[in-house]
Amino acid sequence: MRVHRKAGRLVALTAAVGLLAAACGGEDSGSGDTGSGDGGDPKTFIFGASEDPKTLDAAYVSDGESFRVIFQIYETLVALEPGTTEVVPGLAEEWEISPDGLTYTFHLRDGVTFHDGEPFNAEAVCFNFDRWYNFTGPAQSGDVTYYWQTIFGGFATKEIDSAPDTSRYQSCEATDELTATLTLTEPSSALLAGLVLPAFSIASPKAIEEGGTEIEATGDSFTYSGGFGSEVVAGTGPFQFVSWDRGESLVLERNEDYWGEAPALDEIIFRPIADPTARLQALQAGEIDAYEGVNAADIGAIEGAGDQVVERPAFNVGYVGFNNKLPIFQNPKIRQAIAHALNRQGLLDAAYPEGAVVANQFLPPDQWGYNDSIEGYEYDPDLARQLIEESGETNLTLEFWYPSDVSRPYMPDPQAVYESFAADLQAVGFTIVPKTVPWTPDYLQNIQGDGLGQLHLLGWTGDYADPDNFIGTFFRQDRPEFGFTDPTIQAKLNEALTLTDQAEREPLYEEINQLLYDYIPGVPFVHNQPLLALAGDITGYTPSPVSLEYFKLVDIEG
Amino acid sequence: MSVNEVVAGEPGGPAPATTEAAARPPSSLGREALHRLVRNPMAVVGMVLISIFVLVAIFAPLIAPYSPTDNSWLDQVRPGQYPGPSAEHWLGIDPLGRDVFSRIIYGARQSLLIGVVSLALGAVAGIALGVLAGAFGGWVDTVVMRFVDIMLSVPGLLFAIAVAAMLGQSLTSVMIAIAVVNVPIFARLLRGEMLGQRGADYVLAARSLGISRSAIVFRHVLPNSFTPVIVQGTLTLALAIVEAAGLAFLGLSGSDPSAPEWGRMLTDAQETLTSAPMLAIYPGLAIVLAALGFTLVGESLREALDPKFRR
Repeated sequence: MRVHRKAGRLVALTAAVGLLAAACGGEDSGSGDTGSGDGGDPKTFIFGASEDPKTLDAAYVSDGESFRVIFQIYETLVALEPGTTEVVPGLAEEWEISPDGLTYTFHLRDGVTFHDGEPFNAEAVCFNFDRWYNFTGPAQSGDVTYYWQTIFGGFATKEIDSAPDTSRYQSCEATDELTATLTLTEPSSALLAGLVLPAFSIASPKAIEEGGTEIEATGDSFTYSGGFGSEVVAGTGPFQFVSWDRGESLVLERNEDYWGEAPALDEIIFRPIADPTARLQALQAGEIDAYEGVNAADIGAIEGAGDQVVERPAFNVGYVGFNNKLPIFQNPKIRQAIAHALNRQGLLDAAYPEGAVVANQFLPPDQWGYNDSIEGYEYDPDLARQLIEESGETNLTLEFWYPSDVSRPYMPDPQAVYESFAADLQAVGFTIVPKTVPWTPDYLQNIQGDGLGQLHLLGWTGDYADPDNFIGTFFRQDRPEFGFTDPTIQAKLNEALTLTDQAEREPLYEEINQLLYDYIPGVPFVHNQPLLALAGDITGYTPSPVSLEYFKLVDIEG
Repeated sequence: MSVNEVVAGEPGGPAPATTEAAARPPSSLGREALHRLVRNPMAVVGMVLISIFVLVAIFAPLIAPYSPTDNSWLDQVRPGQYPGPSAEHWLGIDPLGRDVFSRIIYGARQSLLIGVVSLALGAVAGIALGVLAGAFGGWVDTVVMRFVDIMLSVPGLLFAIAVAAMLGQSLTSVMIAIAVVNVPIFARLLRGEMLGQRGADYVLAARSLGISRSAIVFRHVLPNSFTPVIVQGTLTLALAIVEAAGLAFLGLSGSDPSAPEWGRMLTDAQETLTSAPMLAIYPGLAIVLAALGFTLVGESLREALDPKFRR
């Protein structure tokens, strides 16, 4: 939201003008819709998104804006208990896992149909799994099929260098009409938890085939030119696709044939509004009913106007990462000095919502594997100065990277976090050189791809409830971001992933957290409770720790 | 025009009645202009504003009670609640726990620096182009002036944004961006003035005496063409301060977001506009007053030096 604030402002202005136009033109098109059964006005829930989804082809995306829409249209074999990370039956009513952890038998729900009228059955399930496993070309890029690669690894034929060499996926077999058997090549403790991700949405095979799923790579970006996911969209979920006017609105309507309890809403509209201030204004003007990424400083204004602010559980971590390859960070006193120099509590009190807590490990407290006995490094600038002196380091100049044009769940305002921490570090004797680039694609590429960050701000929001999703992602393999290659910790993380018994895994992760705490490959600073704003008349909106919220539970009062 | 003709007046003293002034014998152009200037209340207000601004900028470390980046008061801040003015913090504390007054004071430094450097760069380049066109005339004049026209055809701030965005995030690029905008203004001004002097009696006299062309240009025409440049320079300084703030507001400024800079303070304040509007008003006021000072002096100078205003 900064440099390029100019760009942000222009976008906001354009969006605002567009909104106005859409609001004026939208009235009559909406009124022609069929109302709900009770004959009243149709209930339309308008969500102010920060951008358009990339595509509604669930297998090709990993970002929150796409997932939010996809999550309402499609369903997965296993689902989430609303508001938790607990795995509950979804399209599969029940399932069995073989003792060796290699075979998953899913018993599917009967009487479910796709939005295009096609029947949902085991064949449709396996069609989707086979499609994912047989992705070719650019679809094998980690930017496109991130979650397939995280949960299942590689593909039938490895076509691009960055794709994983091996796959955990062996086969999917439609044993009978409503039984799908998934076979793996090696056990994976994270599989079931991972299958709740919208990336594993089961789509209508007919829609996939008829729409087409072409994808083109241009440099680092991808164009989803297939009709499936943009024109042809068919899942089994409570809402079905109506229209998508990019940059303006994406409209869904209630699926009258939904197998579960009928949703209260008649219609959902997603409107992209890039600028957070413009989203706040749109809510206050009654143009939207909800948005996420609420600034803690705006809570008073929102609640004062009769609207609501709700918190997501803190299932994330924000951290100051070090590039541990650099000689200065190989000096443990320097790492300790930084940990003691940062006034994390002060920053959280001043700029974060009340529910935000100081992080002392890379895992959020609600995730099993969290080590309760770790107390955390105290804010103690004098001790930090002393540690620097003892370290013997004389060149204390560090580049400190932070992203612009972005708000993250763990970091609503990256520049504020940077400024606060930079002042803390300068107060104990470091010389800080600010470095900032826009979030996508530069920042992630610079930090995660090229490891340019000496110090950098980043974080993670959990995708599913498994400790490996946090610390495994960061430290199981050598990653340029941390330049961290501790063989003991890496071996333990790999061991913990292949074990399937949680009782065995839990102490192992607690031990790993202690080792990471002692080493300090970076300083975690926050587990934030991201805020959502809702119009005053919205009920039933259940915030989810993994940001997957069922709009089928939402209602509008009155 | 002899310096000896100067009437021994009282330069700083109270101005005598205007009728008396009009009755005076003709005095030196410069002296007369100065008289008119100090008698103009607008000019005096402007000069006071400029003096305060410059003194604050120079002596910022002595005036400001704290370092502009010291965030020691972070623990007094809560989201949406920022301590207002108090005995320790005259203008309160910003959302990151820093003293607003100290940041405003140090901000003057940045503004003055950008203003002066960009003015100097722009004026030097512009004057060079103007002299080139004015002295040589002919095709050189045509080429230079068409080039200048092209530069002038792009709106100033837009041009500065484009240049600053191209050069990247740094103070130098901001200075260059603002300087570039000023180049055509000075070039055009000087060239016009020099062309006007071409047929002047003293030029013809110098020519008839056989003085070389370059000597005429540099020793006679150029010094006599400088008056409007000084006026323009003062006005440009005001514009440079506003443009620097504008660029900073749009995110084009030095690479350090913690640096005290009025434009950037304004941008940051925008996020808390509903809860703490004063955080936007302070830097806004500082920008307005500094720019006003230079504008008042510039306009008064123009009046004082313009023969048309002479009584």
